[in-house]
Amino acid sequence: MRRKNSIMGMAFFGPALVLLTLFLFLPMVLTFGFSFTDYFALNPELTHFVGLENYLNIFKDELFVQSFFNTVKFVLIIVPLQCGGALLLALAINHAAHCKKYFKVAFFVPVVMSLAVVSTLWMQIYSPEGILNTLLGQFGIDAQPFIHSAKQSLPSIAIMSVWQGVGYQMIIFLGGLQNINPALYEAAEMDHATGWQKFKDITLPELKPLCVFVFITVTIGAFRMLVQPMVMTGGGPDHSTYTIVYDIYETGTVNWEMGLASTMAIVFTIFVVVLTIIQNVLTRDKEG
Amino acid sequence: MLTKKQKWLNWILVGFLLVLSVFFLFPVLWMLANSFKPDAAITADMNSIAAFIPPAPNGSFFENYVSILFNTKFLRYMANTLFYAALLILLGIVVNGLAGYALAKIKFPFRDQWLLIIMMLLIVPTETVITIHFLIIAKAGLLNTVLGYILPSIVNPFNIFLFRQVFVSLPDDVYEAAQLDFCGPVKYFFTMVLPMSKTVVATVSVFTFLNVWNDYLWPSLVFTSSDLLTAQIGLNSITSNDNTTMGQTLAVITLVTIPVIIIYSLFSKQIVEGVTSTGSKEG
Amino acid sequence: MSFIEFKNICKKYPGADRNTVDGFNLNIEEKEFIAFVGPSGCGKSTTLRMVAGFEEITGGDLFIDGKKVNETAPKDRGIAMVFQNYALYPHMTVEKNIAYGLKNMGVPADEIEKKVNWAVRILGLEEYRYRKPKNLSGGQRQRVALGRAIVKNQKVFLMDEPLSNLDAKLRVSMRTEISKLHRELGATTIYVTHDQVEAMTMADRIVIMKDGIVQQVGKPMELYEHPVNQFVAGFIGSPQMNFFSVEVEGNTVKFCDGNRLALPEDTAKKLGGRQGRMVLGIRGEDVKLDEESIRQHENNKLEAVISDTEVMGNENNLYFTFGGSQAVARVSKYEVSQIGDRISFVFLPSKIHFFDEETGVNYMEG
Repeated sequence: MRRKNSIMGMAFFGPALVLLTLFLFLPMVLTFGFSFTDYFALNPELTHFVGLENYLNIFKDELFVQSFFNTVKFVLIIVPLQCGGALLLALAINHAAHCKKYFKVAFFVPVVMSLAVVSTLWMQIYSPEGILNTLLGQFGIDAQPFIHSAKQSLPSIAIMSVWQGVGYQMIIFLGGLQNINPALYEAAEMDHATGWQKFKDITLPELKPLCVFVFITVTIGAFRMLVQPMVMTGGGPDHSTYTIVYDIYETGTVNWEMGLASTMAIVFTIFVVVLTIIQNVLTRDKEG
Repeated sequence: MLTKKQKWLNWILVGFLLVLSVFFLFPVLWMLANSFKPDAAITADMNSIAAFIPPAPNGSFFENYVSILFNTKFLRYMANTLFYAALLILLGIVVNGLAGYALAKIKFPFRDQWLLIIMMLLIVPTETVITIHFLIIAKAGLLNTVLGYILPSIVNPFNIFLFRQVFVSLPDDVYEAAQLDFCGPVKYFFTMVLPMSKTVVATVSVFTFLNVWNDYLWPSLVFTSSDLLTAQIGLNSITSNDNTTMGQTLAVITLVTIPVIIIYSLFSKQIVEGVTSTGSKEG
Repeated sequence: MSFIEFKNICKKYPGADRNTVDGFNLNIEEKEFIAFVGPSGCGKSTTLRMVAGFEEITGGDLFIDGKKVNETAPKDRGIAMVFQNYALYPHMTVEKNIAYGLKNMGVPADEIEKKVNWAVRILGLEEYRYRKPKNLSGGQRQRVALGRAIVKNQKVFLMDEPLSNLDAKLRVSMRTEISKLHRELGATTIYVTHDQVEAMTMADRIVIMKDGIVQQVGKPMELYEHPVNQFVAGFIGSPQMNFFSVEVEGNTVKFCDGNRLALPEDTAKKLGGRQGRMVLGIRGEDVKLDEESIRQHENNKLEAVISDTEVMGNENNLYFTFGGSQAVARVSKYEVSQIGDRISFVFLPSKIHFFDEETGVNYMEG
């Protein structure tokens, strides 16, 4: 009976295991291995082991350093706006006694649209003679270059990303708010708590694990920024919207420098894994 | 029961949200309204409220859509994507479902260790392996083939985990009863387990569809031949063509979004549950 | 050779320090209705699942119809089973649930149709034929589970606590229904239950188990009248047999509250001269309050004060403290007593059991 189970288990798990090996384990091993070499995919015979050289070089590489700081800038703009915005929207909608359903749908609409669609649409909206500049003109504000200037391109894309993503986290927060036991608020009412006290002493503590989760997932999402600049600006102008993942992608699949790309990928993965671990630790603390 | 003061506050809040939602949706409203206009009208309407109002229906009302649907390969791209999505849903349910079932119900060697590994794989960002996927598919000579596009996306640790979580709570006695009814394990999986777990099958299908439909990076790497492109890549190749007008661009992106809107409105319950459960499970 | 033979069957789970089922020996004849009964964790379900083939037999041999089946797959053992939680296929209608096994056996469609018609008719499921299990009541689900088992014409029926999820009234009616089915179909049946009433009312023979070990096998009245040990005596029968810790000196029984009982000649003979501390057992209906009995055993008349009464309608249970234990007397509905009443009673001497204080062995059944 036990032997039958092992055969059946492997028959069921086998197809997935083969594909996992081919497209997850093998790539991970290869990435790790390549990161210590100067593997050039167009000329694999000339590969050398270079030790930690890549790891030292990428931090001397101006483009990588710039893409790193650009990514950090994206994170710094997107995370507070998207997390805070989603929480405020969820709180407001949860309190509103009318049109709840409409609000949920309205703020969720951009989530439905693909990155490519949203990017294409906002290219039109951000265009120098576009609708946004026209609207600003109505308020007496001069036309802005938006994605066509090195200064404004990054914040422009960041704000667009928040616009697209905020509805997703809003739904998560709304779910969390609905899970709070209403008896807690009724008890607080009996204890003469004001609205603010109820928010501070019940809503926030109850939502805290969800806040950590949203914070980390939005952070990781922002770290992974790629398609929006790829479609809208090609990373420019002057590499002002070039990101880490964009750099990995171009180094690997355009320049074929797999060794270098792998090193960047490892560094990036470490960031993401550390963030995930932090999230797990923070949320576990709460339960314990 | 709301007091009078609370009623007033509520109306202010609802009014504020209404105004906010209009501002929030202005790009979408503008997109819809102007996808029916020729470029001259788009520019002319820009300065007035007409920018957000579709033109009066006349003979040329659908002109942008007609030119996209019949003068470009866009319909072909949509059909391609639907086909890829259908394939990946089918294969994904079989491969990930079987694996999830094995991890949930079959006591095979190292099962718990495998489960742990699958859970750790959830953390790995897929962007980092995409270059290697490209290398593997290129070396295998599968660039510009459907197989090359499909192969790396079939297995999905998250879906395996999702299936496992659902299958683990299926009652064992039903399997025992089925055994006595001469139903073997493979038949049991397809005729019992999947029909009994309709919700998770639907959730996985919907999310697979959305992933395939909205994916940009991987198809842009694998496909260069224009006959195989997905809708998202096709959209990009159409809009980056200098002959494409602004109105046509808006029509294309509206068209790409329509299937997703349909899916969301049909399965909104599963999607919202899926979204909220990612939050509550982790939190 | 018997139809089902258990030869020293053992079950040991990996990592467990003792056998869950230990040295189970039993011969079941064809068409017999056997009940496995015992408290939860006694190994009765495990034994049944070893017969079904869902649990590995870790020791001993199991024969069904003359063939050793230790290694045989469940489907090839010629058995049908009814599960505690019904285990219906939730996405199939009643009809499809019943027909499923036949379909997989390759039975022709018209024959399946006939069998399903027959099953829904005798189980009274005609009007629910096209419903799914979630739209059925517990009793109806139980009938579907029975239907699924009976259409396959298997020679052995296994039933694992099939009535435990039903309410009390339904349980009684399903009991008769299952008995009737068994009489009509004549399949050899093993019925697992923790409810001794089910076992007593339905089974030809009862196997009573405790801690993985068979305590006694026998016809219902045998177990009731001649329990081999204190466990069986206490498990079978409701209300439970009264037990008193006593000291036997010569032909006199001394209770710990000082009451005494003189043993008649033949009872004392059965005791075989055993002396000292032991446990006296007597069933509630053998504690007699009527004048006739008291007159007959005048010299052994005992007295106590009623502490509680249970009015059942057809009879009454009177509770009182006696001999240092709580005791019960089952009396007819005409013998009315109130709490606080002082009563006189006698123990019917021929119905008295004596059990070993340590091992529980019944001295009277030696």
